[in-house]
Amino acid sequence: MSVEDTIKGIVIKIVRCDKKILTPDSTWQDLKADSLDMVQILIAIEEKYDIEVPDEDVQEIKNFGEFVAYIEGRLAKKS
Amino acid sequence: MRLKGKIALVTGSSRGIGRAIALKLAEEGADVIVNFLRHRQGAEETARDIEKLGVNAQIIKANLVEPEKIDAMFETIASNYGRLDILVNNAASGVARSALDLDTRGWEWAMDINARAFLLCAQRAVKLMGERGGKIVSISSLGSFFVLPDYVAVGVSKAALEALTRYLAIELAPKGICVNAVAASAVLTEAIKFFIKEQGGQTPSWQMTPAGRMVTPEDVANVVAFLCSEEAYMIRGRTIIVDGGTSLAPFKFTDEGG
Repeated sequence: MSVEDTIKGIVIKIVRCDKKILTPDSTWQDLKADSLDMVQILIAIEEKYDIEVPDEDVQEIKNFGEFVAYIEGRLAKKS
Repeated sequence: MRLKGKIALVTGSSRGIGRAIALKLAEEGADVIVNFLRHRQGAEETARDIEKLGVNAQIIKANLVEPEKIDAMFETIASNYGRLDILVNNAASGVARSALDLDTRGWEWAMDINARAFLLCAQRAVKLMGERGGKIVSISSLGSFFVLPDYVAVGVSKAALEALTRYLAIELAPKGICVNAVAASAVLTEAIKFFIKEQGGQTPSWQMTPAGRMVTPEDVANVVAFLCSEEAYMIRGRTIIVDGGTSLAPFKFTDEGG
């Protein structure tokens, strides 16, 4: 499974949104993700990939596509 | 060195109050297990600083919302040390919501981390304390009693933590285990230091205490270390307030004390 699909699965499960509305352009506001959703998404991703995702970095990210690219970047740095 | 040779677990000690407690216990001679969830770098830094004090440190990642992760953490402690003398239940989280806006997820999140994890950690810690007894200290908040804006989830969970502290104190007294809590007012953390710097270096009046300054993580750590020592043996099930007198003078006061 690609990193994007894995992250998609995590976001859909936590935010409980429809798969169809989650596109690279989706913002957290579009998905109605609150601060608890964000914390739980980050915990799940950190657990899955054994990386650290600082909150400050995530605050700068505008949409889901950028978020996936950011995580892929972190994974590339790790390997 | 009041805690020489003791093994202590401090949950949520990668930064802030937990880090200060971990360092204080190390300064008093205890080997410290640093639990963290998200801030590995911070946990590693805390562990390095503990080792500089001449004692041992170990970091363990565990999400205390998940009982199986708590089990795994205590299995690691059991296999590495074979015992535990001190549990400091510090890890905490919550959601900022009014009571009418609080949903079940927010409620459960705060209750699971702030109250249930304390119960589960204490149950497992007691087994590792065995016949020797031990100390359990939890970190609470003035929001357990006072009503703070959008603080209901954390406030209620901290009230549960304090009640659990009293029940455990009596149930565990025959085992030689002392259980207490520490409740602090707003603590001068890195985030608040940054805010103060941005405001031109002035501590905002709502953060000031009658004692003339804000409460620091070290103020909380000093009281925790005392409660973990034999000097506090006859204190049981109490929540010690560390707030520079704020809760006694809830109305705005001036530098002249008026």
